[in-house]
Amino acid sequence: MLRFSPTAWAKLLFLRDYGETEVGGFAITASEDLLFVRDLKLVRQVCSWAHVAFEDESVADLFDEQVDAGLRPEQFGRIWMHTHPGNCPLPSQTDEQTFARVFGQSEWAVMFILARGGKSYARLQMNTGQGASLRIPVEIDYSQSFTGCDHESWESEYLTHVQSHNSKTLFNNQDEDAIDFLENEFRFDLWDETDDFLSQTQRQEERNDHDD
Amino acid sequence: MQVLLINNDGGGFADYIEVPDGASVQDVFTEKVGNRPASDYLIRVNRQPCASQQILQEGDRISITPTKIEGAG
Repeated sequence: MLRFSPTAWAKLLFLRDYGETEVGGFAITASEDLLFVRDLKLVRQVCSWAHVAFEDESVADLFDEQVDAGLRPEQFGRIWMHTHPGNCPLPSQTDEQTFARVFGQSEWAVMFILARGGKSYARLQMNTGQGASLRIPVEIDYSQSFTGCDHESWESEYLTHVQSHNSKTLFNNQDEDAIDFLENEFRFDLWDETDDFLSQTQRQEERNDHDD
Repeated sequence: MQVLLINNDGGGFADYIEVPDGASVQDVFTEKVGNRPASDYLIRVNRQPCASQQILQEGDRISITPTKIEGAG
């Protein structure tokens, strides 16, 4: 079971809802229970409403900072968290590829996804021996003390780490990239939709010409 | 000589290791990560990007951290 302290969960919800984009980070866990999330840390990232990409340098900085703080890598580098738009927390193809490539060499790792609508997904991957992969439940442990919300600090962390990639810019300036992105991520054939729209528009214009 | 290695692969590691004098960054990477593509990792020495042939010095900090972490909803 993946457990969150009430404070960590509150911070996660705050970060998820602060902007309109996805957001991601790493869970910080207790030394005596590596599946108990007591905090989460953002790294610098570029995000759109349905995509998040971490800056490599910032990931390295996080590792340095946490080691300096006395934590072991398994306490801060094993639970990869990010949010999804809508209400579907199931991992996308991109999520699976990242999880396999980045975390497939660790003895174990967890992919955690929280959808904007509230549903969550957590999967523990064991990479030793025969290996194993299992969905695990998610719980907020209210037996832990709630240390309160720190909106000012959380907001500052968000603003210094999250760079929003405006979807309007995406579509206006990088049409080809946008189409590739949509087709790859959602297996969505934009051209079919566009053709349907153009056909309807053309038929409507022909009817208007005829009426005139 | 001893250098500090930070590595998330395997059991995870953040501790001092013994390396021979004259060892390069590439030597440590090959020993600890094997033949995985170097492009899957950001390798830094003392928090700075480094060349693979850089010779390590006593007390250096080497971090081998994952790259291209991205998700999509």
